[in-house]
Parts: sequence; structure tokens; C-alpha cells
Amino acid sequence: MAHDATHAHDDHGHAQPSGIMRWLTTTNHKDIGSLYMWFAGIMFLIAGTMALVIRAELFQPGLQVVDPEFFNQMTTLHGLIMVFGVIMPAWAGFANWQIPLMIGAPDMAFPRMNNWGFWLLPVAGFLLVLTLFMPGGGPAGGWTMYPPLFIQGGISYDLTIFAVHILGASSIMGSINIITTILNMRAPGMTMMKMPLFVWTWLITAYLLIATVPVLAGAVTMLLTDRNFDTHFFNAAGGGDPVMFQHIFWFFGHPEVYILILPAFGVVSQIIPTFARKPLFGYASMVYATASIAILSFIVWAHHMFTVGMPATAQLFFMYSTMLIAVPTGVKVFNWVATMWKGSMTFETPMLFAIAFVCLFTIGGFSGLVCAMTPVDIQIHDTYYVVAHFHYVLVSGALFAIIAGVYYWLPKWTGHMYDERLGKLHFWLSVISMNITFFPMHFLGLAGMPRRYADYALQFAEFNAIASVGAFLFGFSQLIFLYLIIKAIKGGQKATDQVWEGAEGLEWTVPSPAPYHTFETAPVVK
Amino acid sequence: MAEHRGSLWQAARAVFWSFFGVRKKSHYEQDAVQLTPVQVIVMGLASAALFVLILLGIVWLVAN
Repeated sequence: MAHDATHAHDDHGHAQPSGIMRWLTTTNHKDIGSLYMWFAGIMFLIAGTMALVIRAELFQPGLQVVDPEFFNQMTTLHGLIMVFGVIMPAWAGFANWQIPLMIGAPDMAFPRMNNWGFWLLPVAGFLLVLTLFMPGGGPAGGWTMYPPLFIQGGISYDLTIFAVHILGASSIMGSINIITTILNMRAPGMTMMKMPLFVWTWLITAYLLIATVPVLAGAVTMLLTDRNFDTHFFNAAGGGDPVMFQHIFWFFGHPEVYILILPAFGVVSQIIPTFARKPLFGYASMVYATASIAILSFIVWAHHMFTVGMPATAQLFFMYSTMLIAVPTGVKVFNWVATMWKGSMTFETPMLFAIAFVCLFTIGGFSGLVCAMTPVDIQIHDTYYVVAHFHYVLVSGALFAIIAGVYYWLPKWTGHMYDERLGKLHFWLSVISMNITFFPMHFLGLAGMPRRYADYALQFAEFNAIASVGAFLFGFSQLIFLYLIIKAIKGGQKATDQVWEGAEGLEWTVPSPAPYHTFETAPVVK
Repeated sequence: MAEHRGSLWQAARAVFWSFFGVRKKSHYEQDAVQLTPVQVIVMGLASAALFVLILLGIVWLVAN
């Protein structure tokens, strides 16, 4: 027994490295899941600080804090890091921790590739941050990397392209691993239509990644050869077409939006039934709607570029197809509300964030419909209305779902309950400050304030000041979240195996904290 | 294969309802037993192509 107690972590017959080597060489899905989450958290602090630099500069009209070139570097890197270095790795972290636990598998299908897939990320993150210290500073052409700006810049643009390549390789490896794990390693009795919705949404997300990331890799490779090898894919002077980059980029970019949000749908679909103490309303329709959204996401890309010039017939096509995505998305929102309907609801922190997600993501969805209408979009393209729209979708959508998921599964990961009182404080500060930050941006955009400028006309001063105050409040509120996580790791009230009264699923059948190795003998799902 | 007879139409209906996002429970349970993943995927891609063609048709009607 003494032997068992001292070797709880390496009971598989061979010694394990300790210290830093444990993390460098680990093939354990829980270790790698934690690494992904910490990486996302660190990058969130970096890219969040960049957001605060942006908001500090925009607090008042005129130039006070940074020069315009550095401001543009901040907007570019904030976007790139938040998308590729925060939201995507956080979802990969959830996938690594939760998918094997939820389908009753002992680990991911390709544990060594899993290790490599993760350790590529810090390299890419380092390259992105390193750009700031290169001659000429970081990339300043916008996170969408449009030529001609991205062809003309200095060495930091090459580093950015390499970083995107590496991030893409990591994503593809992660996706292959997730698909193989889900399709081949489910416990006996866990049929596809019994899988938790989070697993379903990640399966579909992984297919989206495999379909689109190579397209992005192709686009940035063409940028790289345009920059260094005298090709002219996107150089009009050499017979190329810069608009072609936008088409290729957004053929990746729009499914990417759903790559960021589909796992959020999955997490919310786990949390709401738990705290409403009712099964998810319309499980099958949720699966169908997710698949429909994924397919439709491939035929809407040009709504990001209505203003660059395209035939009226193309504008009509992309307008119609974009508006039709609201149908399956609306089904999802309806199902979440119907799940809560007449449920025995309690409002612990994960549920609060999930409900905020449903309400605020819907606002982001509706403003998306506004942007989908070509004549309207031509007015509001590249204004703060678009900034407001995608921050409602990505902050109160994807990020709130990540936070909700962390609160929901943290007791299972750490074995300790988080501090509920501070969790609620974190929620209310986040939800109020998020709205103070981004809601006024709708008005700014409708009034014509353009994106990606360090300065603005005097009539925009009040709403910008309000947005900046909200942004700082939001940013510093997240320190409560960090404190809560560290506190739960260090100790606190012991979590039960089930953790939440209404929780159902295989992950709640294992002890809290989840042992290093779980489901070495597959459970049987009835 | 006998239990899948006539299921092309059934797959088409399942995919149509999935675009809308809902499916009657009894029909869904029939789908789960009778349809194969290959049928659903092939029909899904074909329906997506049909969907694009219908949209193009509407665009053509509006633009002319």
C-alpha cells in the first residue's frame, strides 16, 4: 500500500521524469490539457495587455500614449494572439482534458503527436511576441494579413507568417488526434448519438480545421513567396490580385469563426442541463444544427469583403447564405432556452456565464445579421460596429464559454471547489464591464468611426472614454479569475466525484481530482 | 442491405430537416437505426450543392 501511495503517478511500471522534463515529455492527456490551458491563459494576459494599450490610446482624441505605428502593431497582434494563441489553444485544452473523460477512453489516440502538437505552440507564440523587437517593430497590417501591407512590411511579417504556419501544423495535429480518438476510442455502448454535445461539437470543429487550415497555410505561403521569392500572386504590379488573398483568407476565416464558437456551443450545452436539472432539449437537433452550421460556414466567406468589389449577383448570394445561418443558430438558442424552461435552476458561476453567453452571443448574432445585409455592410464595413459585433461573439461568446467551462470542470481537474462568492463577483464585474466596453462601439460604428486608427474625431470622444473605462475594468476583473484558479489548485473545499447535483456523464464517475490515468478498463455505457 | 432499402429518400429528408435544425423524434429514431454515416455524408454534401444552386436561382430571379 505504501508503494501505491508513493507511486500514484507512475504506476505503469517505469520511472517518469520529474520537474520541467515531466511537462516537456508528457504524453498524458490531462497534463497536455493543462499545458494548453496555461498557455492560453498566459497569452490572454499578453494580448489583453495589448487591448488595454489600444483602449488607453483611444481614451481621448489625439495621440497621448503610443505612436500610430505601434498602435497598429497592437491591434494586429492583439487579434492574431487572441484568435490563434488564446481561444483555439483553450479549446484544445478542454478537448484534451475532457474528450477522453467524456467518452470513456484512457487517453488520446496519438499521445506523442499530442505532445508535439502542444509544444509547437510556445514556439509560435514566442515568434509572434518576438516580432515586436524586430527592426521596424511588429506586424501592423491587421490580423487578416492583407496584401499589399503584408507584402511590404519588414522581417516581423516573415516571423508572423512562420508563426501562423506553426500554429496551423499544431491545429491539424490536434484535429487528427481528436477525430481519431472520438471515432475509435469510445467506451462500449457510447454510440455516436449518445456522445456528450461537447464531444460532437469538437468532432465537427476538428473537421472544419482540417478542411480550412491548409487553405490558410497556402495563402500565407503565397504571401511568403511574394515577399521573398519574387512571385506575384497578390501583387497587382506583377499581374497578381490582392483581392484573391482576401477570398482565400476568408475561405479559411469564416469557418475559423465557427472553429472558435462551436466548442463554446458544446460547453454551454453541457452546463445548462446540469444547472437546469433537465436533459438537453432537442439533443439530436443540436447535433444536426451544428453540422448544418459547419456546412453553411463554407459558403458565406465573401460577406467579409462586400466593399472590395464583386458582382451584384455575388453580393446577393453571400447575403442570402449568411442570413440563412441564423436558422440553425436560432434553433440552438431556442433549445438552450427550452432546456431552462421549467427547470429546477440554480445559478452557480458556470451557469451564470452560460446564461450570459446565451443572451450576449445572441446580440452578437443579431448584429451579424445587420452586417450580413450588403447595403448596410457597405456603410458599416471597417467601422466600430464590426468591432462591436465580433467582440460580442468572441468575448461574451467564446471567452465566456471558456470561463464557464473552467468553472464547471475546475473541481474535477483540481479536486477542490472554487470560491463561489468570488466567482460570482468575477461574473458580475465581467458581464457589466464587457457591455460597458463593447456596447458603445455599436453607436461609434453607426456614427462612422473607422477601425484601426489611433485617433478619432471629437464627436466620438464620450463613447470612447466609456469603452476604455469598461475595458480596464474588464481586464483587471480577470485577475480575480486567475486568483480563483490558483486558489482552487492549492486547496479548498474538497469536491465530490459528481461535483454538481445535476451533472451527468462519464467524467463525473471518476474521482475528483481525476486520477492521472482514467478508464484503463473501459466503462460500459448503457 | 435490405434494411436500408428506400433509405435514399429517408437520408434526403433527414438532411433537409438538419438544415432547418430539427427532426421529429420518431423519425430521428428511425434514422438512427436505418441510415449509415456514408449515406448521410453523401446526401449532406449533395444537399449543400443543391442549396447553393437554389440560392443562385433565387439570386438570378431577383437580379433579372
